[in-house]
Amino acid sequence: MSSTLLPEEQATDSHRHSKSSEMRRYGFFPGCVAKESCKELFNSTMLLADKLGIELIELTAASCCGASVVNDTNRDIARVLNARTYAQAEALGLDDVITICSTCTGHMRAANMELLESEERMNQANSILGKFGAKYEGSVMVRHLLWLLIDDIGLDKLSSMVVRPLNGLRVAPFYGCHIIRPEKVNGWESARNPHSLEDIITAIGGEPIDYAGKTRCCGFHIQLEKDGVATSMVGQNMRIAKDRGAEAVITPCPLCHLALDGYQQDAAARWGRTDLPTFHLPQLVALALGVPAEKLGLNKHLIDPRTILVERELIA
Amino acid sequence: MAQVKLDIFRYDEAVDAVPHRDTVEIDVPITMTVLDALETAKAEVDGSISFRRSCRSAICGSCSMNINGVTGLACKTPCKSVMNDDGVIQIDPMPNFQPMKDLVVHMDPFWDKYTRLKPYLQPADRDEDHELERRVSPADMKKLVDAANCVMCATCYALCPVVSVDPSFAGPAAIAYAYRFIEDVRDGKRKERLAQINEDYLWLCAHCYACSYCPKHVDPHDRIVDVKRATIQEGVMMDHPGPRHALVVNRTIKKTGMLAETEVILGTVGRFNFRAQLKVAPLGLRMAVKGKMPPPFLKPIPKADEVRTIFESLEVPT
Repeated sequence: MSSTLLPEEQATDSHRHSKSSEMRRYGFFPGCVAKESCKELFNSTMLLADKLGIELIELTAASCCGASVVNDTNRDIARVLNARTYAQAEALGLDDVITICSTCTGHMRAANMELLESEERMNQANSILGKFGAKYEGSVMVRHLLWLLIDDIGLDKLSSMVVRPLNGLRVAPFYGCHIIRPEKVNGWESARNPHSLEDIITAIGGEPIDYAGKTRCCGFHIQLEKDGVATSMVGQNMRIAKDRGAEAVITPCPLCHLALDGYQQDAAARWGRTDLPTFHLPQLVALALGVPAEKLGLNKHLIDPRTILVERELIA
Repeated sequence: MAQVKLDIFRYDEAVDAVPHRDTVEIDVPITMTVLDALETAKAEVDGSISFRRSCRSAICGSCSMNINGVTGLACKTPCKSVMNDDGVIQIDPMPNFQPMKDLVVHMDPFWDKYTRLKPYLQPADRDEDHELERRVSPADMKKLVDAANCVMCATCYALCPVVSVDPSFAGPAAIAYAYRFIEDVRDGKRKERLAQINEDYLWLCAHCYACSYCPKHVDPHDRIVDVKRATIQEGVMMDHPGPRHALVVNRTIKKTGMLAETEVILGTVGRFNFRAQLKVAPLGLRMAVKGKMPPPFLKPIPKADEVRTIFESLEVPT
């Protein structure tokens, strides 16, 4: 008995999806925040997938990745929770698990690496998964939507699909730590000088801003630990971006989004007002690809990104 | 040979109101390190250039500095790997420190963090009670070797974004060094050490992995996580937001399969800590107005019992 968690008709037989087929199929792990306080990220991801002609099959029974916190108490639990998610993807004949959160990306990749490099850990995981009839064979690769856009769609193709170029909108990339560091876990691009977000910004007609804050931390994980620290980390990074001429920020991580969008107002006391609107990665790409702005949940942001879009004549 | 242009931060706190920069041009063998290039510049061009160095081989930890915006040991950095097409290498003092003279910084805050954690063995028993030295098994020593390799170069401290906005945080190096004593079987002050490092804001580590660029592969982040686990195992400071956060996140995932944001926020600041709740309330309200509030209760994921099975199979009783 395998642990098939989606309706039977969605499950495929042993046939693995082919990257060259017309309709590419991917396992999709939205993560907790895109299902809770950043629903606009989930919705804009699905709208973007439609535009790109790819099928994201949500792993609806997947659990939280552990979000770095489960790791703080018990590394084994964090690892096996993710093994369960991978087993679900395999049961559906999917070997890609696509994430839309930097923290999910880093922690799921770390868990996968730990499983794949140690038979002992893999056996431990499978002895527990076996209690409910699941098994992880080790075939899954965890990738972020950002990497999918560049590796599977391609920057040229993406660029050719743009119907509403960003008119040179000056956008500051903000990567979020766990999609780049530690390099031994991610390693998809240089952690010290990444440029995937810059490449995307350019491909959709914007102008990327180079600034020291782009690979720094938003402080989200310590917001409740001590007053003002995370707020100040946001203020510091946004100050540099603003001083370098940024009009908006783009991030592949909803935790960074909550921090950047939420804390700038309180950071103003120490760092001066910045008020940079922050886009989720799929929001800005979908906008350039012609998805109507009102479908992207831009009204949900605390710093309204529609103001700059109207100013730059990108929306009416 | 290649021509290198060292673009050096110059400042003397005794005389300068503001720093300036000097460019020093020297011819160096292509294999030369940045430290050797600085030594050459000092010997041949300008004897007043100041920087710390001693061993020249990544053992003493003296020569950490900012090279083209990246902090690391100058003695481990070949010029070839950092010079641009015009041969320019930008050299600045470590960030997160007050400059003293050129590349020399005031290290006091960094050493203070060390002093606070009493970085020496404090056994529970007396030396006289041991006929021989205190023995440690190879397995027990293996746990300490990485952390004990720290050369206190402060690269991680300079890279830490939390230190950059709040110097009360102990910083990666001190916590990794605290781990070295907390996990030492000969030491008798495990709980006291855990309490101390918790007082020094252990849980302010933001999990950013900036310290993963440790030149000695101490991996301070992983040692920080080890100390957090020991804190929870020993039940130290459990009424503080850090441990409360860790436990409530685990609880909600075990119950629903998901990290339930609302419950986690309340559980971390304290369900009855109304003062702390007032502090997070304004942001909560702003989010509520935008329809961005996470749901108060979460529906469990399908087959949430499987998640419970995972937790119950692996939880270590405390």
